[in-house]
Amino acid sequence: MNEAAPLPKGNMGEPVARIDARLKVTGDARYPADLPVRDVAHAVLVTSPIARGRLTQLHTEAARAVPGVLDIIAAGDVDGELERPQFGNSGSTSIAPLHDRRIWHDGQIVALVVAETFEAASEAAALVRADFQAEEPSSGFGSPGIEIIPAAGASPLYPENPEAGDFDAAWATAEISIDETYSTPTQHHNPMELFSTTASWFDGDVTVNESSQNVTGWKNTLARQLKVDPEHVRVVSPYVGGAFGSRGPMTPRTAIIAHAARRLGRPVRCVVTRKQAYTTQTYRAETRHHIRMGAMKDGRIVAFRHEGWELTSRPDNYVVGGTGTTARMYGYGAVETKVSLVKADRNTPSYMRSPPETPYVYALENAMDEMAVALAMDPVEFRRVNDTMTEPIEGKPFSSRSLMECYDQAAEAFGWNRRTRGIGSMRDGDWLVGMGCATAVYPTNVAPCTARVRLTADGRIRVQSGSHEIGTGIRTVAAQMAAERLGAPFWSVEVEMGDSSLPPAPVSGGSTSTASVCSAVMKACDAIRARLFHAAVTANDGPLSGLAPADLGIADGRIVAGARVEAVANAMERMGVGEIEEYAEFAPEGSSADAIANLYKGKLEMRMGEEGAKVKYAFGAEFVEVRIHRLTRETRVSRLVGAFAAGRIMNPRTARSQLMGGMIWGVGCALHEATEMDRHSARYVNTDLQDYLVPVNADIQDVKVILVEEKDTDVNPAGVKGLGELGNVGTPAAVASAVYHATGKRIRDLPIRIEDLL
Amino acid sequence: MKRLVSMTVNGEEIELAIPPYRTLLDVLRNEGRLTGTKKGCDVGDCGACTVIMDGSPVNSCLVLGIEAEGATIETIEGQHAGPDLPHLIQEKFMDHGGAQCGFCTPGIIMMTKALLKENPNPTESEVRFAIAGNICRCTGYAKIVDAVLAAAEDLRKGRTL
Ligand code: FES
Ligand code: FES
Repeated sequence: MNEAAPLPKGNMGEPVARIDARLKVTGDARYPADLPVRDVAHAVLVTSPIARGRLTQLHTEAARAVPGVLDIIAAGDVDGELERPQFGNSGSTSIAPLHDRRIWHDGQIVALVVAETFEAASEAAALVRADFQAEEPSSGFGSPGIEIIPAAGASPLYPENPEAGDFDAAWATAEISIDETYSTPTQHHNPMELFSTTASWFDGDVTVNESSQNVTGWKNTLARQLKVDPEHVRVVSPYVGGAFGSRGPMTPRTAIIAHAARRLGRPVRCVVTRKQAYTTQTYRAETRHHIRMGAMKDGRIVAFRHEGWELTSRPDNYVVGGTGTTARMYGYGAVETKVSLVKADRNTPSYMRSPPETPYVYALENAMDEMAVALAMDPVEFRRVNDTMTEPIEGKPFSSRSLMECYDQAAEAFGWNRRTRGIGSMRDGDWLVGMGCATAVYPTNVAPCTARVRLTADGRIRVQSGSHEIGTGIRTVAAQMAAERLGAPFWSVEVEMGDSSLPPAPVSGGSTSTASVCSAVMKACDAIRARLFHAAVTANDGPLSGLAPADLGIADGRIVAGARVEAVANAMERMGVGEIEEYAEFAPEGSSADAIANLYKGKLEMRMGEEGAKVKYAFGAEFVEVRIHRLTRETRVSRLVGAFAAGRIMNPRTARSQLMGGMIWGVGCALHEATEMDRHSARYVNTDLQDYLVPVNADIQDVKVILVEEKDTDVNPAGVKGLGELGNVGTPAAVASAVYHATGKRIRDLPIRIEDLL
Repeated sequence: MKRLVSMTVNGEEIELAIPPYRTLLDVLRNEGRLTGTKKGCDVGDCGACTVIMDGSPVNSCLVLGIEAEGATIETIEGQHAGPDLPHLIQEKFMDHGGAQCGFCTPGIIMMTKALLKENPNPTESEVRFAIAGNICRCTGYAKIVDAVLAAAEDLRKGRTL
């Protein structure tokens, strides 16, 4: 055993190594662009150099003259062939780049060049010239020409602003108050695998190989756009080289490539350059926040107001909307919230790892730290005073909430008691040492899901579900669930995912996968158990005959009841079958009657953490130590400790891995990441991994993850709370708190950079 | 106009007809059918395309295929401890959970091999800086360093690269 495989505590599964670890370390895992495709043509995008205006003329003569060029597709060429993309559900935007001549944002697709080789297509794409009628663009917050609208009602996903009590009256009674503004920048997911689409038609059927977090949703979305029956569309995505939300909604390129392949009568592959991905894929919207928090001298918060502004595109109302979580986080008393959308000449933003929580909880937790300072209270104790088992908006109980347990375990491991209170009071030579902490939180969402499980008489198990291995380890935990329910060894399970021809699973987003897939797999396995148990008890001469099925269990390939056992293989032989296969549909409590039918149609019905009789959230506490150089103000994160409670932990190894990866993401969010914009032209400036900073190995030192035992039977049948988006939520505010402790500078605008600390 | 180039890839001498402008990365992935080496940027920023060329790690997206004439190239596909046995470094990456989505992994393993060849006894900080050019966005950095250090420890116990 090593640190990577923590010993399971109560309500935790075994820390088995990933089922696909070997394939990944040997280079044998095949990502979509690795797939050899016969006779494939290569496509390269031509994108707009202006952010607003109209395309008036495209000059393609020079491009067409490049040897090997096969086709150039531009505005007008898709009319009648391709439906416009739609925003929402599985579509990232309604911007229809080859339907319209209007330019909505920098880097919008204006043409596609297809050639025999990638190099020829690239050369030709560089030779395409376009004339535009350019207009003055609005780049974002504070630009002339932006439009600001209320978020409530602008999107079905954000019906109203949560509130409770009389904020103004409560605010007037507060003895201590905080009234501050915070902001978070544009960020891009930058998964390591480049975005790509490969489309091949055969006999009226199209197969699209593209990394996706939602193969079923895309199949349906693509079918609508291509004007074919969904049964003729297959989306395949066996391994995904990172996603973080970027591969959730389908972007317009996918249908354009599929259309190009249809038009050419040949498979087409497009691997998008990293630079072009900044404008043709989605991103995290920048946000601004105004928080007012009023407390009594004993530390009780009596009034909380959170107002947010979020950037979106002109045509699409993407809402970040993190007030649903911040309004329920502590026992505040009166709460008022408001969210507005700022519409500018930008591409449509979308989900990026903990979309609402990353910016909104950053603002809230920073305010919490400021309030603790104002109250002269220890920040952990301040949170303890305001901890609650009842959320303040509707007065509903939390299904479970181990926040303070997380704080206590993390504080102990971190050595929080060694922190001295005074600003700049801790030093190590030329380095100022700061310690800070913050809360991590993520709602426990769950979605309808289906799975098929087959048990063969030789003891092998095959699990099929159209979920997605995006690095989370979902194949591994699904195999563990099947192995456990069917009393078989882990290695006997094979898991197929990432293909829209499998039984559908929800989008791998909102941290729903483990809960949803494991609940469906469990249901299918339980149906297999029921058939086996029935056969065992109804046999005339079997060792278990006459017993009640409820008294039976299954372990090590045998059906057991106390000392009486029968081998599973025996029972199957008696049943006269070589295999038992069960297909199961899992719809979470409170789902509509059409939930499964809708899942097949690619319409997702996710049950959110705040819905239902109890609210469901996973919590964590993160502690950070920073070292800031006395003179240069270089900032290093020397230690990170996080403790997290997320119901049943299917696999402590993959859970730790997700949480640790999240915490390091949080360091990037705190200190590195921001997509910079030239405000005049509304164009991104740092569109590569040289200038868009992400943490590298040398930025990270000591990271410790503690899994806190928690049991919650209300969340879903598997008892699982998603944690893939939990680890990164608390880190930025904890870093800001540590920076304040070291320097006395309260940085409210991310990322925190050297120039802010000089 | 294609050019005939010969190189030794994973111990096997091969001759390929390649366009002179094609990068070594694309040559390996297309003509060589070795897709274990990944493209994460194509401009030298990410390290996903790391291979070992004549004993030194290179970003294969920054090398032209024709520059590899006569060179010895090692890629992820050539790493084993024996028939059907993973290489020591691969084994440690499996044990320590060094791969999440797995996309950066082949490049990091090749970089690790180059590091350990040169310095079989690296400190933790030497490891961090040696592989600082290999971005892992899933960000397994802590586990990757543990895996590299564990491989180094086994080298000290007599195992070989
Ligand atoms: S692909 Fe070569 S460094 Fe990124
Ligand atoms: S494992 Fe996904 S980028 Fe490293």
